[in-house]
Amino acid sequence: MVRFKHRYLLCELVSEDPRCRACLEERILFNLVRDAIARAHGAFGAAACALAFTVKYLNAYTGVVLLRCRKEFYQLLWSALPFITYLENKGQRYPCFFNTLHVGGTIRTCQKFLIQYNRRQLLILLQKCTNKEERESIKKSVMSCSLEQQEDELSGSESEEDATEME
Amino acid sequence: MSNAREKKHAKKMRNQPTNVTLTSGFGITDEKGVKHHNGNEKSFHYQKQEPHAGAAQHQQPKSTHVSSEPCMNEQPSKGHCKGEKGKGQAGWRGGHQGATREIPKYITASTFAQARAAEINAMLKAVTQKSSNSLVFQTLPRHMRRRAMSHNVKRLPRRLREIAQKEAEKTEHQKKEHSKNKCRKARRCHLNLLLEFNRRQKKNVWLETHIWHAKRFHMVKKWGYCIGESPTVKSYRASYRAMTNHCLLQDLSYYCCLELNGKEEEILKALSRMCSIDTGLTFAAVHCLSGKRQGSLVLYRADKYPEEMLGPITFIWKSEDGTITTPINRKLWLWTHPTLKQDILTELKVVCQCVPLPEVAASIPEVVLTPPEEKSHIEQTKNCKKRKRDDGEKNANNPVKKIVGDGTRNPFQPYSWTSPATGIVISDLTMEMNRYRLIGPLSHSILTEALKTASLYTGIGDAETLPHSWWIETCKNPDRVAVHHHQEAIFELLGGIASPAEIPAGTILGLTVGDPRVNLPQKKSKALPNLEKCQDNEKVRQLRLEGVPVECSHSFIWNQDICKSVTENKISEKELNQMRSELMVPGSQLNLGHRESKIPILLIQQPGKVTGEDRLGWGSGWDILLPKGWGMAFWIPFIYRGARVGGLKEGLIHSRYKGAPSIPDDYPDCPAGILFATEQENNLLEKYKRHPPAKRPNYVKHGTLSPFRCPWEQLTRDWESRIKAQEESPVSPCSSANGKSDTGKEDTCVVEGEQVPQLTCETEALQDSPGEPEEMMDTDSQGATMSRDTTDEDICGKNGGRAKSTFNVLRNRKLLKYLSAWCQPVGRRNQAVLRASRMHQQELTRATCLSILCSYPRSLVWVSLSLLRKGNPELHTMICIPSKEDFLRLNEDRLYCGPQESKHSDPFKAKARKQKEKKKTEKGQKQERGTAGESRCTKGCSEVIPGLWLGPLPNITDHCSRTLLGFVTQGDFSLAAGCGRALGFVSLTGLLEMLSSQPADKRGLVLLRTPASLQYRFASIIIDI
Repeated sequence: MVRFKHRYLLCELVSEDPRCRACLEERILFNLVRDAIARAHGAFGAAACALAFTVKYLNAYTGVVLLRCRKEFYQLLWSALPFITYLENKGQRYPCFFNTLHVGGTIRTCQKFLIQYNRRQLLILLQKCTNKEERESIKKSVMSCSLEQQEDELSGSESEEDATEME
Repeated sequence: MSNAREKKHAKKMRNQPTNVTLTSGFGITDEKGVKHHNGNEKSFHYQKQEPHAGAAQHQQPKSTHVSSEPCMNEQPSKGHCKGEKGKGQAGWRGGHQGATREIPKYITASTFAQARAAEINAMLKAVTQKSSNSLVFQTLPRHMRRRAMSHNVKRLPRRLREIAQKEAEKTEHQKKEHSKNKCRKARRCHLNLLLEFNRRQKKNVWLETHIWHAKRFHMVKKWGYCIGESPTVKSYRASYRAMTNHCLLQDLSYYCCLELNGKEEEILKALSRMCSIDTGLTFAAVHCLSGKRQGSLVLYRADKYPEEMLGPITFIWKSEDGTITTPINRKLWLWTHPTLKQDILTELKVVCQCVPLPEVAASIPEVVLTPPEEKSHIEQTKNCKKRKRDDGEKNANNPVKKIVGDGTRNPFQPYSWTSPATGIVISDLTMEMNRYRLIGPLSHSILTEALKTASLYTGIGDAETLPHSWWIETCKNPDRVAVHHHQEAIFELLGGIASPAEIPAGTILGLTVGDPRVNLPQKKSKALPNLEKCQDNEKVRQLRLEGVPVECSHSFIWNQDICKSVTENKISEKELNQMRSELMVPGSQLNLGHRESKIPILLIQQPGKVTGEDRLGWGSGWDILLPKGWGMAFWIPFIYRGARVGGLKEGLIHSRYKGAPSIPDDYPDCPAGILFATEQENNLLEKYKRHPPAKRPNYVKHGTLSPFRCPWEQLTRDWESRIKAQEESPVSPCSSANGKSDTGKEDTCVVEGEQVPQLTCETEALQDSPGEPEEMMDTDSQGATMSRDTTDEDICGKNGGRAKSTFNVLRNRKLLKYLSAWCQPVGRRNQAVLRASRMHQQELTRATCLSILCSYPRSLVWVSLSLLRKGNPELHTMICIPSKEDFLRLNEDRLYCGPQESKHSDPFKAKARKQKEKKKTEKGQKQERGTAGESRCTKGCSEVIPGLWLGPLPNITDHCSRTLLGFVTQGDFSLAAGCGRALGFVSLTGLLEMLSSQPADKRGLVLLRTPASLQYRFASIIIDI
């Protein structure tokens, strides 16, 4: 089968201001990235990346964003991302930056990576937390995100956690 | 995007995560719940308990510990998350709440964790669950695929088996249940095949030629029968050629026969209430009454003429057979179309005061007096048994029999009704006989070649052992033998006549013929007229002039017992073939001797085109009536002689070229016609809706108000009110010219005053005779019309709420003759004038018009239209009145094709757009809300169909630039005339109005416009009688 090959960029939006996340929307993000490419690579870059460029997934709570671009020009997009320093909405500017986590060929690989990444994050959080209640709640959330297939794996990680706790 | 494609896409995206955003007003929990959680991201409703959403926390019970049950007010949103583990979720939720409430400092951390967890969940779901449209084994990489994976689940890797199993089950359900319990050989064995066939003809009656037809025709289920519609091969032109030059064969066995048995006077008295002398000859016509000819007429509900038409029929009287039966009791057969049968039958019962035969009703539980059909079945089983015993098989109690006749009829339903008062017995002989129709000049040769008259019985002695005892009896009677010889001689003469049109219309010839299968030719050949026989002697001339003498129309087919015995004693195809194979010289003529069946048949000449001037006698032919069971035995010999077979469509073409209305399409005032119109409308509408709006005509813009059905009722009503308005207008000054012309016309009317009152008298007499005089037509005020309407409605009410049409079709022959003469332009009228002078033709004046309109205020006239130049009329083409400018331009330019209608505006466009938008938003909501939106969406679709007029129609006569006169019901390019020809109805009121206002040399010119076109075309009206 012949198909258009894409590259998917899994990025994380990092911002100090919690209000920044509130205004994270698909349309705003789209314009933001497009403008950034235009600034960095000019009209050619903007046009090349505009081909099949979309925001495939966006989560305002975690700040995770999945961008799609044609395989031939993804580097233009990638190189333009660091130049985004502000998220602008309704006249308000919130400083932020993009952290590219993963570049994949399919959505599926990006999703897989995101699972791994988030799990790692949770474990780090668990290790770092000091309060007992908080620890409890994090544990709960870790438990909740397990499907059947992952159960044994998770229990393994929990035992690990227990082990760290014991220390 | 089409619906199916959307569905497919939705299915694919079912498991994919959707975007999650924080909207600015995210304190409102419900909205968020709806907006962001599409089934797979259940956990995000907690995010609102971030610092901003403190208000929401009041809803939650304070719980510092892990609560294992979900909160009640969040229950609804939980409904969206299918397949998740409730326990885990609840636990996680409780813990979180505790945390957020107590220590604001840590909230970010825990929400951080929750957000990640939820995301992991969503992603996990997306990654692990398959949501593509392909089957399971298609997702496998190529090197892991194995042969026959779709059939055998075990060939799949074990991890996929479960899913594949489910898929396989699903497809099995979708597939139609196919009885695979028997192998093909077993299914095709004769007994099982017969069982299957019998099962399949329980619902719709199969004709005897069904199997033959089903292999070659598109079959339709209509009127309770399975009928071939048209051949699968190309046949439009070929069937026309067959009708004009060769022979077309049709199976009309689905026509229903009703038998009336009783005294002649009683039958005539009863039936005279149902027909009127105005419409032509009735049951009492001399030729028909003697049994010499077939008659045809239109039946009305008793004493209701000219309203409440029931339908057209043909009828045959059994010829008086002076010597044997008593001359008082006569038999009458009425042949009707199956859609009309029920109405006619009930009305006949009313007219004859009939009740179901009491004995039959009583004896149903016993088998003493079973209906003849059942008897025949039993007989058939007996035959079956006998044969099986011969074969040495023992399972003779298997009750499988071939269905002969009506397979759907309930054996307990009475099929015969008798009247104690008049002594008339009505019986329903549906499917008791076969009726084939041969159309075309070669039908003579085919008949004479295929049928051989039965040989007389000459042997002596063993009469009891032979099956055809009735024939032996007949042969002993010298009178009978003489009649048989006479019939044989006449039948021989037929072979020398070139076309059936030369014989008087409706001639009946009875015959007794031998088994036509015996002299079947080896190969299919074409029967050609024998030139040697074509001699012009005295006998042939007499036959042409007078038809068949009365005594020759006698046939044994009238006798039910003989028919039954003929059906039962038929030699089966198998036995015949057996005998053929045992012949000493293979391929020689089979001689059955006295075992050969003798079949009584009846030949009826069908007149072809009887109306109009050109092509008279076109499409004439013979109808042949056979006893049941013998259908295929006659069918194949006819085809082997070169007859081409046609179906319903060919029948329609035949009637169109004949200029005759076809049943039930062209009888809009009978119940069957109304039913047909609604069915046709539904079909056409469905077909129309299958196209997207851009790929179908916008009928609103074309100014076509009702493209799928003809609103006859409204047409006649509008014309009536229009005339009334015109008559009122002379009072107002604006139309003084009109009034002047009126007075001028009145003068002329005074001049020929002696004739006019005569006509009015006549019309009044006509009006009185049916028994329901309509004394309206005080056309001065609108109040009158109102009261008139109400009276009409009253009539409607009286008729028991049945959908009664308020219009009727004009069938008064005298009036039609006048109209026909008026319609012709003066130049062409030389002959017509001569004829008119003979029959005291009225001149067209306002007064005569008025008098006609008095008696027929809401009538339609059957007209045929011939296009002057270009144009191909279609179904529901509009017939319009040309304006004066059109005539002027036609005079200037002889090649002028016709005016154009200007495009109309679409007042429903805004509405349609609004609806579309609504639909779109609903669709958007549907993705979140599932089925609720869907149902509403479908409801919305039924409201506006873009391109069709919405709601009640406005005044249809002057909706377009030319005034509407009527509609075409059948139209096509005529292969016979070489131009477009159409048949249709126009409003009588409008026709008279048009004729009186048109110049004499252009009289009878109208404009035709097809529903999907703006171009008008000129055509001339011809009224044929």
